[in-house]
Amino acid sequence: MNKFISKKDLLSWLGKLRETRRLVAPTRVDDLTLLTEVSRLEDIVFDYQNTDLPPKQFLFPATETIFSIEKKDGRVELVPAKVEKETVIFGVRPCDAKGILTLGMPFLEEPGDPLYREHCEKTILVGISCLTACPECFCTSMGSAPDDPSGMDIMLTGVKDGYLVQVLTDKGKALMPDSLLSSVDTPKPPAPQVSTVPSKGITEKMRQAFDDPYWGRLADRCLHCNVCSYVCPTCYCFDVRDYGGKNKTERVRSWESCQSPGFSKIAGGYDPRANKGTRMRQRFAHKLLYFPEHFGTMHCIGCGRCVRACPVNIDIREIIQDVQKLGVKEK
Amino acid sequence: MAVDYQPRIVGFLCNWCSYAGADMAGTSRITYPPNIRIIRVPCSGRVDPLLVVKAFQLGADGVLIAGCHPGDCHYTEGNYYARRRFALLRPFLDYLGIESGRFWMEWVSASEGKRFSQVVSSFTSELIKLGPRKALVPEAVS
Amino acid sequence: MNPSEQIRAKAKELLDNKTVDCVIGYERSTDGKNSRPLFVYSSKDADRLIFDQTCAQNLVRYLLNRKDKVTGIVVKPCDSRAINLLLNEHQIQRDKVYVIGVACSGVAKTDWNKTSDKLRDACQICQQHKPVVYDFLVGEAKAEPAAEAYPDIKSMEGKSPGERRAFWEEQFSRCIRCYACRQVCPGCYCGECFVECLDPLWVGIRIAPGENEMWNTMRAFHLAGRCIGCNACELVCPVNIPLSLLNRKLEKDVQTLFKFQSGIDADAPPPFAAFQKDEKLGVAE
Repeated sequence: MNKFISKKDLLSWLGKLRETRRLVAPTRVDDLTLLTEVSRLEDIVFDYQNTDLPPKQFLFPATETIFSIEKKDGRVELVPAKVEKETVIFGVRPCDAKGILTLGMPFLEEPGDPLYREHCEKTILVGISCLTACPECFCTSMGSAPDDPSGMDIMLTGVKDGYLVQVLTDKGKALMPDSLLSSVDTPKPPAPQVSTVPSKGITEKMRQAFDDPYWGRLADRCLHCNVCSYVCPTCYCFDVRDYGGKNKTERVRSWESCQSPGFSKIAGGYDPRANKGTRMRQRFAHKLLYFPEHFGTMHCIGCGRCVRACPVNIDIREIIQDVQKLGVKEK
Repeated sequence: MAVDYQPRIVGFLCNWCSYAGADMAGTSRITYPPNIRIIRVPCSGRVDPLLVVKAFQLGADGVLIAGCHPGDCHYTEGNYYARRRFALLRPFLDYLGIESGRFWMEWVSASEGKRFSQVVSSFTSELIKLGPRKALVPEAVS
Repeated sequence: MNPSEQIRAKAKELLDNKTVDCVIGYERSTDGKNSRPLFVYSSKDADRLIFDQTCAQNLVRYLLNRKDKVTGIVVKPCDSRAINLLLNEHQIQRDKVYVIGVACSGVAKTDWNKTSDKLRDACQICQQHKPVVYDFLVGEAKAEPAAEAYPDIKSMEGKSPGERRAFWEEQFSRCIRCYACRQVCPGCYCGECFVECLDPLWVGIRIAPGENEMWNTMRAFHLAGRCIGCNACELVCPVNIPLSLLNRKLEKDVQTLFKFQSGIDADAPPPFAAFQKDEKLGVAE
């Protein structure tokens, strides 16, 4: 027996949520499908494979004031940023939910980023499992699956006239009590076939390929446009600057990318990664070697967005295949 | 439109002619609206379009660039280059929705104190008619 | 021989004779449908080179990273104007570039994993079907230049300022300041871009409507009289901002006001480095 909610009931549930919380869901913006704050329920779309930008911007915004220093009554006060409302992100795919778990690892590692933690505590993820797979995705090679509920508070699986419901956490249960659901004996549809890449043992192969001239050749065509980092659900490089005003200074954190020339420039003007090849190697080493070594999981979740977005077709799937074939270097 | 809307004009005045002209308006006790905030530059050719766009971004309702008359530039040619640059910037700003009535370029010589005050008065009245500029003021997006 | 075969043969010849160190061209991308840049260092890889309707990218940008080496490059007519621009601005030397020019009647609207026969918007109004500079010409230009060069700009000019303001506000609000447009543009090669300047902080890192407008407006203006209309910026933008509507508006005005078009003549003085004493330009008159 599985729990079920009809599409009609689902929409009215979302409408009710919107009264007290920020509701974010997939909507159509020009030819893109983007997660946006929803003002009208009719704007929510259901016919998409995945959104063009990942949900990370709702926990780790592209630009965020992390605190401000204000002069009040002659005293100087530090005012931390606050997360005002709870946010429900609806329509998240399993790969992106895993992406959010992965994104949280560096931010929540002790002592932890208090603002990020506040965002996490005030965000509820309502995901929809995949019934079809994008041609570019390879989630199963990166530790996820089209029906993997990790990271979600509630997972929905599309069936005729509605969705099968799995309530996974207390947060999810508080939002969607049993009373809203009915029991059905509709079985769960089978998960679709997803393309694979040879990711087994890639961490060790990356370590061995560190000095290979492959990276320089690959980087030849890279434009350092930063798009891969910006569309990636798990990339988290950022820059911090202070913006001063009359009586208020704000410390602002904004997205950056390790691919940007000058990203690793240090005081004095020295840049350890001035060479294009070293920057390219850094990206894939972080994804496939450094992050798994430190946190125990791949930094890539196989959503395929970078593959679709890269203007010069730097394809992580191709790179994984190439690196597996590179000769073993004697250290 | 608020009754007490006072347009804020940022004026880039070249040191040798226009700034001196504005000074002359002052010493001659000619009144003109106080809406203009003057920034002295060595030459109208020094004014970078970036400065104009930044002024609008920070909330200016109008921007004025005043320089020496063509042929009289203290640095011989600076105002010719400025003329070319701003001939292109004006329709471009209009294309972006910043009406061409908000961006003026005038030649004011050092002896034209009266003319300077007339320029500022007409600019201010035109800006009052156009209304406050709906500027995209910087705001933290969270 | 079709264009791909001609290019492959030429590349092999150039690499075998050591005339060039590398040939930059196109190869098939991993979706099997579109193309991506390819750097060929040895003639045994030359057979990967292709040229077809999917080759929309402008490759001239890569010449700026290879100033000390002799490079062969495959260019379409629009891209060839970029070579003249870089020669004009003394960024590359003519004897360090071997230009394989392809006479082109347009490339298709490319998108990941999709094929299309529809020509790109820029190609539909193209005025240049033969490269303006080349050492070796591939193909024959058949198509006539389009009759109307700026229909989309004229239509935008016909709207009210309020409508235009609303349009641009909406477009710039999507900008995520990835700077892909800057990175792909052959004309954007400043050692320190104005957005990286910390003092004064012109634009900074904050991603907000005001800053986004400043970025897009000033980048377009820094390309005024220099943009060659390849539309690589619009092609690469991940959030589909219609950048060509900005850049080509300036191209149109530069043509009307100063009778100048960039990239046609590598020796013509740039419009903002020149003036005429008695010209009437519609300001301060």
